[in-house]
Amino acid sequence: MHEPVQPLHSDVSETPATPRGRAIVITSGKGGVGKTTTTANIGHALARRGVRVALVDADIGLRNLDLVLGLEQRVRFHVLDVLEEKVELEDALIADKYSPTLYLLAAAQAREKDEVDEVKMKALIDRLRELFDYVIIDSPAGIEQGFKNAVIGAQEAIVVCTPEVSAVRDVDRVVGLLGNAFRPQLIVNRLRPQLVKKGKMLSVEDVNAILRLPLLGVIADEPEIIVSTNKGMPIALQDEGATSAAYRAIAARLAGEDIPAPTVEMKDSFMDRLGSFFGGRR
Amino acid sequence: MLGLEKRIVFDLVEVVEGRCQLRQALIKDKRFGDTLSILPAAQTRDKDAVTPEQFSAVVAQAAEHCDFVLVDCPAGIEGGFRNAIAGVAEAIVVTTPEVSAIRDADRVIGKLVERSLPIRLIINRLRPEMVRTQDMLSVEDVCEILSAELLGVIPDDEEIIDTTNRGEPLALNPTSRLAVIYDKIARRLEGEIVPFTSFDSPGFFGRLFGSLKAG
Repeated sequence: MHEPVQPLHSDVSETPATPRGRAIVITSGKGGVGKTTTTANIGHALARRGVRVALVDADIGLRNLDLVLGLEQRVRFHVLDVLEEKVELEDALIADKYSPTLYLLAAAQAREKDEVDEVKMKALIDRLRELFDYVIIDSPAGIEQGFKNAVIGAQEAIVVCTPEVSAVRDVDRVVGLLGNAFRPQLIVNRLRPQLVKKGKMLSVEDVNAILRLPLLGVIADEPEIIVSTNKGMPIALQDEGATSAAYRAIAARLAGEDIPAPTVEMKDSFMDRLGSFFGGRR
Repeated sequence: MLGLEKRIVFDLVEVVEGRCQLRQALIKDKRFGDTLSILPAAQTRDKDAVTPEQFSAVVAQAAEHCDFVLVDCPAGIEGGFRNAIAGVAEAIVVTTPEVSAIRDADRVIGKLVERSLPIRLIINRLRPEMVRTQDMLSVEDVCEILSAELLGVIPDDEEIIDTTNRGEPLALNPTSRLAVIYDKIARRLEGEIVPFTSFDSPGFFGRLFGSLKAG
């Protein structure tokens, strides 16, 4: 049998049952910009700080978060099982392999997003907020029912945008839909500093000149992110390296720490150094 | 994406609602003569504003005038997806060689197979160097997992990022090796048998330049 969800039970008896954790939806409008990878890494980076984190995969029908976290073999129940009261929430939460304070609520694979009841979804997120410090909700792409379900219980939003005109346009639309209530913050994902330098890619400033959002973080496009995602071991688990440091900085900013602007960290990054190392060949 | 956004007057939803004719909403891309037209999506409307039947009717109408009608499907498997596949006779599934993308593609292929649509695969954002170091699934791996026929492979290339941002499609640049790849895909769609450029074997750069010369 699977491991018991300890923090839940111990906490329920100690604290009053009022939502107190922060529910944050991770969204973008466009598909393939790295929402799920971002969710997994922020989850680990927050859990590393000792807080309790629940990751909710709201991409019903196209679930992936379990795969990126390396938990796909441990999924027994999912969001819809809980919403339909087939199992207890505690039984559906999957304890992470690496971070003891991190839990996953997986999405249903063989189901449709329309099957989710928004009212019940909100109630579920509220319950998770009683039990966890952070509830991070991975939204599906698009702005249809799946997006609405993902957003319904959240109070904050993180929008993930790649430095491409089509992604910026979709994020801008999503920010418009979110309105002022979610105080959206921006993560610029898959930035290639070398391309920005050559004028071939939008810079963080270009992206944010259009979006005008508080900048939460910048993640460079590193092959090791793809590798870690494929292996089901998010890169934020690593002690060293620029990318895991960038995710830890995002977690610290979310926790309210005053960390210098992420763009400064990008200067002379690994990619730049690599570029100058291969300078002769370019 | 094509740099035509300022010329949009009518959109798909207005065609569906009968507020304009299909030909009024189509935007001709003059760089391709009279042969490429775009029917823009509605930016301000919900995807539920159109039913699959209505969508299907518009695609059928477009097919009367065109040799190919390409429908750009939204991400996911919700209403927008159901609309996009309503009126089509075949499907091209685009995936990246990442485990999570392949799982989604597999799910989508399942949905397409339910409708008996023939499927072909484009593998996007392939990094041949990472395939070589076994940090990325190869073209063969992806085709095997999805058991679908391969239509084309697009390497992860600086050129792509550059041009889509300027609204200038690669196919317009005759010197681009990606234009060569897209040209081959187009020819395969027309039924021609075109050999694949190999990205998987060692000595990739040599081959790349070789394929460039070969055209």
